Amino acid sequence: FMKGSPAQPLCGFSNAVVQILRLHGVEDYRAHDVLQDPDLRQGIKNYSNWPTIPQVYLNGEFVGGCDILLQMHQNGDLVEELKKLGIRSALLDAEKDQEKK
Amino acid sequence: SPNSPLSCSPSPMRGPLLAAAGGAMGGAGGPLARTIRAKLTAALQPTHLEVRDDSSRHGGPPGAETHFGVLVVSGRFAGLPLLQRHRLVHEALRAELAGPLHALQVIARTPQQWQSDPRAPPAPPCLGGSKRERHRG
Repeated sequence: FMKGSPAQPLCGFSNAVVQILRLHGVEDYRAHDVLQDPDLRQGIKNYSNWPTIPQVYLNGEFVGGCDILLQMHQNGDLVEELKKLGIRSALLDAEKDQEKK
Repeated sequence: SPNSPLSCSPSPMRGPLLAAAGGAMGGAGGPLARTIRAKLTAALQPTHLEVRDDSSRHGGPPGAETHFGVLVVSGRFAGLPLLQRHRLVHEALRAELAGPLHALQVIARTPQQWQSDPRAPPAPPCLGGSKRERHRG
């Protein structure tokens, strides 16, 4: 749940989420632009009891916002969470390429 | 560039959280900043606290007090996953988040974590407009 779309984020924090996911090769996800729908914008905050946008959900479970995703990206947790969902992070392949050099 | 995480700032704080803000403020000083500082101090007894007014980086005038970043170092976070830590911070600022506080960046560390790594990632650049967006579809 973000502001704007993955192709055209309208907020720096939403864009950061899109970029992080892209780094991991994750581009096939549902994105909901809360700017298009004020009820959605408030509703998703009520649902997760989280006051801000963007909100990242993995397999229906609320993970957090931009800050949390960034920290998960930096400490390797995101690769692990993606793995649990059967998604192989592109960064693992990038690391393999690095090791070959 | 004001968005550079390496910008040198005369700020007395160690973390680049404030340096990334361009160094204009050595800790935000407006009324909302003071409220945020007071509430986080009361709720979490932080050993280290930085409060940054990012509003000017999101199209608002300097000191607009709509977008903030906070770095909270507190023993209260021990054993808690990031989500729970952030929820504690949000809880302390519930009234503000329902009101004037439009966006809140949160870094929540335990004292041990802060000691071993006294750095914080810079805020993502604002996208209000266009600028240096490389991946724009």
